[in-house]
Amino acid sequence: MSASSTHSRILEVEGLSASYGHVEALRPVNLHVEEGELIAVLGPNGAGKSTLMNAIMGLVPTQGRVTFRGRDVPRRAPAAAAALGIVLVPEGRGIFAPMTVAENLELGAYLLSDKREYARRYERVLSLFPRLKERLTQTAGSLSGGEQQMLAVGRALMSEPKILLLDEPSLGLAPRVIEEILQKLGELNRQGLSIILVEQKAPLVLKLARRAYLLSVGSIAAEIDPRTIKSHDELAHYYLG
Amino acid sequence: MFDLVAQSILSGIGVGAIYGLIGIGFCVIYNASGIVNFAQGAFVMLGGMLTHAGMTKLGLPLPLAAIGAIAIVALSGVALERIVVRPLWNRGSTMFVMILATLAAQIVVERLTLIAAGDQPRTLPVFTDLPPLRVFGFAINFQFLWIVGCSAIVIAGLALFFSSTKTGKAMRACSINRDAAALQGIPVSRMLALAFALSAGLGAVAGILITPTQYTAFNVGVPFAISGFIAAIVGGFGRPLGAFMGGILLGVAQALAIVFLGAAFKNVAALSILLLFLFVRPTGLLGSAK
Repeated sequence: MSASSTHSRILEVEGLSASYGHVEALRPVNLHVEEGELIAVLGPNGAGKSTLMNAIMGLVPTQGRVTFRGRDVPRRAPAAAAALGIVLVPEGRGIFAPMTVAENLELGAYLLSDKREYARRYERVLSLFPRLKERLTQTAGSLSGGEQQMLAVGRALMSEPKILLLDEPSLGLAPRVIEEILQKLGELNRQGLSIILVEQKAPLVLKLARRAYLLSVGSIAAEIDPRTIKSHDELAHYYLG
Repeated sequence: MFDLVAQSILSGIGVGAIYGLIGIGFCVIYNASGIVNFAQGAFVMLGGMLTHAGMTKLGLPLPLAAIGAIAIVALSGVALERIVVRPLWNRGSTMFVMILATLAAQIVVERLTLIAAGDQPRTLPVFTDLPPLRVFGFAINFQFLWIVGCSAIVIAGLALFFSSTKTGKAMRACSINRDAAALQGIPVSRMLALAFALSAGLGAVAGILITPTQYTAFNVGVPFAISGFIAAIVGGFGRPLGAFMGGILLGVAQALAIVFLGAAFKNVAALSILLLFLFVRPTGLLGSAK
């Protein structure tokens, strides 16, 4: 049982902790993602959600272990993690604002050299986000917030990730735009992409997520099954303890 | 009088182009890492000295000696990054420490060159040994054409590299947001090494181009680095094109100061321009990059 279940795990995080200088920002965390699963990481501002994402990628010094399909993900080497197929759309999107939309997408496929495969991915991303197609030669910084988020997701998809990590994609966006982006993420998940979705606004993602981890003051407070959450009060109970 | 002024403006443009190339070297490393590399002058000095050594010690023709020198200096740029900058970077040292370390590297290279090659100034033959061209009564010597021509080619090549190649775009991405670049799988540290190589190569080109009109010795690096640094500030730090414009402005101002005020005022002119910009337009001609 355990052998087969670890086999279907795309990502496994064991005792992962992180600190900035002497400040411990993340206490040892365990979580896992099954192949094709969309999980949510919820928690209030400052709970350590972004630190957890950065820790998985190795952007910050960490202790503990991250394995991808049974292989160790190197620490302090985000480019190597990306090469394995773990791609993070960071908090604040991290688009290259002075560069054009097309250049941003091109850099998303930095590790790819096959031209035909590149053209295929490019078409796929532009058909998923048709609005980007009209803006290819504009600088990324001139896009609206929603379009920038689409660009950030599109850029991540250019690398054809095996698992996509999204750090608060809803941040600063209008409800209608959030809904559009979440709907695309649901679509990608149904096509088989494993996703970790970090959100502060839990109701947004509980419909999408199979499981949710609740993060509170730097450690996992609970693992919850979204189907059992019936009301906001019940969720508030998890937030407030 | 008019002739003299026009003639000195011309020579100022030549020297200014050299300052500009050195200034661009500052920008390339600064954009990639935020480090102001004070070892930039060492690259300029090594360019001239190694070309001279290649010609006299190995008997190489000038073009071969020059290309060899540029390659060696570019590699020494990588070595600087690996040996001096990287260990500090990985340890999370502050910018100030890394900048100071490059200054230390400048001194080490300068002293090693003194030990290896002595303190005698050397020069290179002019690239094209023909009498100056006469255009509208002005004498334009061929070395001026070499300097301006090579600078233009180098700048056009750099612009093309940063705008059209994947590696160039990746380097720009690193300068915009290093973490986001790494998340795309871009090898950020290799890009940093490449920035040092490019910048060192630019310094070497500058050193080789200018040596026939002046001389080179173990200690020419620092004055050139200072001029290139001023050019970069005047242009808007981190803006390669701005640095080149700043270099030309600086070169012309120095040339005019020599004509009207005397040779002693050369550095006064340079520092005055620096102060003027710091007071009136601290972000430089094009606005600083960060």
